[in-house]
Amino acid sequence: MNERVKPVYLEEKLEEIRADGHQDFRSKSLPTWCPGCGYFSMAEGLTFALNRLGLDHKDVVVVSGIGCASRFPFFVSSYGFHTLHGRVLPVATGVKIGNDALTVVAVGGDGDAFAIGGGHIPHAARRNVDMTYLVFDNGIYGLTKGQASPTSALGFKTSSTPYENGDVPLNPLMMLLSYGASWVGQAYAGHQHQLADLITEAMAHKGFSFLRVLSPCVTFDKTDNTYGNLNMMVRTLPDDHDSSDKMAAMAQAMQADHPATGVYYQEQRPTLHQVMNATNDRAEGPGAAKTK
Amino acid sequence: MMNKAGTDIQIAICGSAGDGTIASGDIMKRAAALMGYNVIAFDEYPPEIRGFGKCISRIRISSKQAYSLKEQSDVLISLNDSHAIPHAREVRDFGAVIYDDNLVSAVAEGGHMSAHINAAQVPYGFAIRQMSEQATNAARARNIVVLGYLAGLYDLPPEHFREIIKAKFAKKPQAVIDDNTKAFDAGLVAGQAVFKLDDVVVGAAGDEATGSKAVMMTGNGAVVRGFMEAEIQSYFGYPITPATSIMERLAVEMPPKGGNFLQTEDEISAIAAAIGAGYTGSRAATATSGPGLALMAEMLGLGVMAEVPVVVVVSQRGGPSTGLPTKTEQSDLNLAVFGGSGDAQRIVLAPTNVEGCYRCAGMAFDIAETYQTPVILLIDLYLSNRYETVVPSDEASFAPKPRIDVVADENAPYKRFAFTENHISPRALPGQAGLMHTITGLEHNELGRPNDAIHMDMSTKRHEKLNSAVHFPGLNVSKRFGDEGPVDVGILGWGSSFGEVLETMYEAQAEGIRCAAMKVVMLSPLPIEALKEFFADCREILVPELNYEGQFASLVSGALGKPVTRLNRATGSPMVVNEILEEVRRLSGQNQTPLSAAE
Amino acid sequence: MSAPLHHVIIGSGSAGFGAATTLRQNDDDCRITMITMDSLPFYNRYDLPQVFHGQHDWRELLDVPPAYYDDMRIALRRRSRVVDVDGTNQLVTLAHQESVAYDRLLVCAGGRGYLPENLTGFAGLMHGFGSFEAAMRLYRDLPKGGTAIIIGGDMIGIDLAMTLLDTGYKVSLIATPQTFWPHEVSDEERTQLFAAMTARGITVHKDHRPVGVSRKDAGKSRCCVTLDDGTEVAGDVVLPFCGLTSSVEFMLKAEVDIERGLLVTPELQTSNKTIWAAGDVCQIWRDQEKAYHFYHGWKNVRVMGELAARNMTGTHEVFDTDVEDRIAVDANGQISSTFWTH
Repeated sequence: MNERVKPVYLEEKLEEIRADGHQDFRSKSLPTWCPGCGYFSMAEGLTFALNRLGLDHKDVVVVSGIGCASRFPFFVSSYGFHTLHGRVLPVATGVKIGNDALTVVAVGGDGDAFAIGGGHIPHAARRNVDMTYLVFDNGIYGLTKGQASPTSALGFKTSSTPYENGDVPLNPLMMLLSYGASWVGQAYAGHQHQLADLITEAMAHKGFSFLRVLSPCVTFDKTDNTYGNLNMMVRTLPDDHDSSDKMAAMAQAMQADHPATGVYYQEQRPTLHQVMNATNDRAEGPGAAKTK
Repeated sequence: MMNKAGTDIQIAICGSAGDGTIASGDIMKRAAALMGYNVIAFDEYPPEIRGFGKCISRIRISSKQAYSLKEQSDVLISLNDSHAIPHAREVRDFGAVIYDDNLVSAVAEGGHMSAHINAAQVPYGFAIRQMSEQATNAARARNIVVLGYLAGLYDLPPEHFREIIKAKFAKKPQAVIDDNTKAFDAGLVAGQAVFKLDDVVVGAAGDEATGSKAVMMTGNGAVVRGFMEAEIQSYFGYPITPATSIMERLAVEMPPKGGNFLQTEDEISAIAAAIGAGYTGSRAATATSGPGLALMAEMLGLGVMAEVPVVVVVSQRGGPSTGLPTKTEQSDLNLAVFGGSGDAQRIVLAPTNVEGCYRCAGMAFDIAETYQTPVILLIDLYLSNRYETVVPSDEASFAPKPRIDVVADENAPYKRFAFTENHISPRALPGQAGLMHTITGLEHNELGRPNDAIHMDMSTKRHEKLNSAVHFPGLNVSKRFGDEGPVDVGILGWGSSFGEVLETMYEAQAEGIRCAAMKVVMLSPLPIEALKEFFADCREILVPELNYEGQFASLVSGALGKPVTRLNRATGSPMVVNEILEEVRRLSGQNQTPLSAAE
Repeated sequence: MSAPLHHVIIGSGSAGFGAATTLRQNDDDCRITMITMDSLPFYNRYDLPQVFHGQHDWRELLDVPPAYYDDMRIALRRRSRVVDVDGTNQLVTLAHQESVAYDRLLVCAGGRGYLPENLTGFAGLMHGFGSFEAAMRLYRDLPKGGTAIIIGGDMIGIDLAMTLLDTGYKVSLIATPQTFWPHEVSDEERTQLFAAMTARGITVHKDHRPVGVSRKDAGKSRCCVTLDDGTEVAGDVVLPFCGLTSSVEFMLKAEVDIERGLLVTPELQTSNKTIWAAGDVCQIWRDQEKAYHFYHGWKNVRVMGELAARNMTGTHEVFDTDVEDRIAVDANGQISSTFWTH
C-alpha cells in the first residue's frame, strides 16, 4: 500500500489513472436515498477519493452501522460490512486489526455515531486506528422517518419532539478534538468538490481521521438543515488557520452556528498498528513478561 | 467410593488470607502432578481484596482419573482455626486433622481446633508456628511446614516438593528458597516422627500414572493453551469475572507470537471487533461471562446472519444480572443457545472438564470457520478456576489447515451466500481480487444484497448447514458411560456438573442399580440420534444441573418430546453427589411403569 | 429449670470412660467433656499386648465405636494436656492456652510410669507401653525373636512379659523394689514368683539394681542395662515397669489436698466440693485404718469412676471393693494377679 503523508495531489498520478480508465467504484446497486439527499455527493466524493489514492477495489472495506448513511457499502464496489446500529467503529477496528493491508472506511449517520455509537468514538480516536470515519450529519433520524438526533437543533420539531426539541445538541467536532483524534475535518454536502478533496485528505492521513459532513435530509427536515439555511451558515476556515493548533481548532469548532469547512486539526502520531507492533517487539525482547 | 484400588485422597488446606493457604495448595498439587497422580484442585478465595477472609485450597490426588472433588476430604490442615473449624466436619471418619497445638495467645473454650474434631477423626497437633519461627525466624512459613509434615506423615517423596518450592520462589533471593526449604524439612522430620493413626494411604501412582507429560491447568489456562496451539490471531476482551484470566494470559502470550491483542471498551466492542477481524479471515475470539454475553447477543445474531466465524468463550457464574460473581452456576445455557433476536442458531460446545476445555478451544476456530458462524465455548467458574492434570496433545494437532481459496469467475459476480448442497458457501476474504461483496445483518440474497423474499430459503441454509457439526471429526459431541443396553436410571449431564454425575453413577452401580450416564458436549445443534438411543435405553432419565429453571432439561426434553426428571440446584457451589444419588435411588425404586413422572 | 451442668473429666482411661457413660445415664441434660492427652478414644490398656498377636488396627481395639461419643453427646478432647486447674474459679487450663469452665470436675488422670531417680536420665533410651502408639513402636523396634529387658516388672510389665514369651521373644527382668507393684509381697512369695518366672523362661536378675542404660549399635544386641556390680544385661529394647506415680502436678492450685495422690473421701470427693477423683490418681480415706489408700487394678478403677460419676449427680455412695490384693502362682506355673484378671 502507498505510504501516505499529507496528501499530494499528484497530477501525474491522476493522468495515469485517467489513462488506465479509472476504476468504477460504483456498485451495481441503485442507491436507496431520496433524490436530493446530500449523501449522493458523498458517494461521488468517496469514489473520487478512492480513485485519487490509487486504491484497488479488493483492498477497500467500507464498514457501516444502521441508517440512511449506513447503506453506503451497498453502493460502493469494494468489500463491505453493513453491521449494527452504533457499532461501526469497533467492527471497523477489528477489520483493520485483522488485516492491516486493507483500507478501512467507516461510515455512519449522526444517530449511529453520536447516540448509540457515542461510547465507541473516544476509543477508536485515542487509539489512532488507521481508518477514516465519515459521519453524515443531517441532524435527524431519516431511515426511521424523522426523529430527533443528538445533533438536532434546540427547538427543532420532529416526530419524537412534536413540542420542540429540548436537548442541547452535541458538538461533534469538539468531542473528536478532545478525544484525541489525529485528523478532524468538516465538509458540506452542498460543496461537492471541496467534499471530495476533504475525503481524499482524510483518507490519505495515516491515523484516525474524522470527517463530519453536514447534509440536509430533504424529506424529513424542511426547516432546519436545508440547503438554503446551510448555504447561508456554512463558511470555510480562515486562511490563516493553523491545523496543528488544537486550541485554535476548538475555538473554530465552538462556533456551531457558523460551521466552517476544512481541516480543523491534524497531527502525526503512531497508529494502533504501530503501537501493537511495538508491543509485540517488546514482548519478544529480554524484558518480556513471563507467562503466569 | 469410586476408586476402590489405588490412591484417592483429598487434602483441604484452610487458613486466613495472608497465611499462604493457596500457595501451599499450589505446591501440593504440582508436587502431586510430578509424582504422576491425576490431580483435581479448586481454591476458594474471600471476596474482599484485602483483609483476613477465609481461603480454602482443596486438592484431590488419585491414581485413576477423577471427575470432581469429593464432598468429604481425607485430610484437613488448619492454618487458622477460626476459619478452619467449620470445615472439620468435612473430614471423613478416620481421616486426619492437622493443626497447631501451641498457640501464642489464649482462646475461649471451643476456640481451638481440638474442640471440633469428632471421635472418629484423627487429631495431629504440633507446634507449627514455633517450628516455622525456629526454621526461618518468622511465622510466615507455616504453610510450608505443614507441607513437610504431610510429606513425612504419608511418606511422599520430598524431592518433588523441594523442586516446586525452588521453582515457585525462583525469582526471589536465595535466602527465601533456603528458608522455605528449611521449613519444609523441619515439618518433614516431625511428620516422619509422628505415629500415623489415620487410615489415609497414599500409594504409588499406579498404572494410570500421568507421568511427567501431564501439566496442571485450570479451565481458563486450558482454553488459552488450546487457542495458542490453534494459532489464534486476534483477541478482543473486556474484564469480567471469571473470564478475566483468559484475557490476561493471552495479553502475555499473544504479542511474542505477533498476535493482535486488544482490551476493548466494553463487551459489545469486543465481540464487534472479533467479528470484524473474523470477516477478514483472522482467527478471532473473545471471552466473557453471562452479563457480557447478554450484551453480545445482538452481535452474535449479526455473526449468524452474515455467516462470519468467531469464537466466544463464556464462563458462567451465578445469575441473573450481576448475580454471584464469584460463585459457579450453569444458568446461561438459554442465552448461549438462543440469545439474540430471531432464529439465530449457532454452535455451542460445553466441555465437562479441563481437558475438554483444552480440546474444544483447540478445535473451536476450525469449527467456526467450517460452519462460518459463531461458536460459543460454554464453561463455568468451577471449570475456569479448577486445576486438573492434562496431557497436552502431540505436535500441532490444533494448527490451522491450509485454506482453500475461492476462484473468481470473470463472467459472474461472486456469490458469497451461494446455495450449495451442504449449505456452506465458499468464502472469499477482503483483499482477494474479483470477489468483492458486502455482508450485512439484513436478510440478503446469494450476492449479499438486501432481500426479504428469500428469507425462508436463507433461514433453511443457515440452519441446515449446522447439521453435520454433530459429526465434526475429532470432537466427542456426546459420550455414554456405565452400563450398556437397557438401564433403570440414565443420568444426563452437561458442563462441570458432569463430574458429580459420573461419580454418582459409579456409586449407584456399586449399589447394584443398573445405571448409565451421558454427557452432552454439543448443546447446539444437539446430537439427537445419540440422545434418542439413550432415552430408549433408560427407564428413567434424571437431569441434574446447576440452575434453577432446568435449562438443559427443557432443551433436551423439548427436542425429544419426552419427559425427564429434573434435579435443579442453584446454591453457588458444585452439585453434591449424595443428593444426585438419593434421586437415582428413588427413581430406580419406582414402579416399572412405561412412563416416568416428569417434575 | 437451671442451666445444664458441665461435667469435665480429666483422663479417658477406664475410670474416665466409665464415669462419662454413667453421667450420661444419670443426667440426660448435662454437658460432658472428657479431656485426654491421648490421640485415640478409650480402649482398654490391658489389651495392648494384643499388638504382638497381630492386632495393629486401633479401631478394633476401641471399647466403643467412635459414633458412641456423638450419640451420647460426650465431647472428647484428645491431645489436650491439662496444665492448671483453678479450684476457685472452676477453670481447667489446657496446654494450648484454652480454658474450659466446669461445674463439676472429675480427675481420673491416672499415673505416669515411675522411674527410679538414678535412671531418669536414661528415659530417652527406653520404650514405654502406655498407649497404642507406644505399643506399636515397641513392636516395630523389637526384632523377631529379640530380647526385651524389663526393669522392675510391675503387673503390667509381667503381663506383657507373658505375651512376649508366647509370641517368640525373649525376656530378661531386672528386679527392683517396684517389682510386682502394686502388690506387697513377702520374701517367700518373691522367691516363689521369681522361680515361676525363671521356669517360664525369663532371665531374672534379682540380686543387683540397675544403674544405667546404654545403646550399642555394634554387636548382636542393641542396648544394655548396667547393674550395680558392673554386669551388663544385653537386649534389644529396655522397658521400665516400675509402677505408677499419680499425675497430680496440674492440681497444685486447685485447693485440694494432695499427698502422693489426690486425697478423697470414701465418696471420692476431694477437699474441694466441686472436684472428685477416681482411679490410680487418688488415695481414698479408710476409716478403719485412719489412713489414705491407693486402689489399683482394672476393676477397681472402673468401679471408682462409675461411683464418682453417680456421686457427682447427687448420690452419696461409698467406695468399697471386693477385690483382694493377691498375687499367686497357679497350678500351671502361671503368675496371676487379682488386679489383672480380665
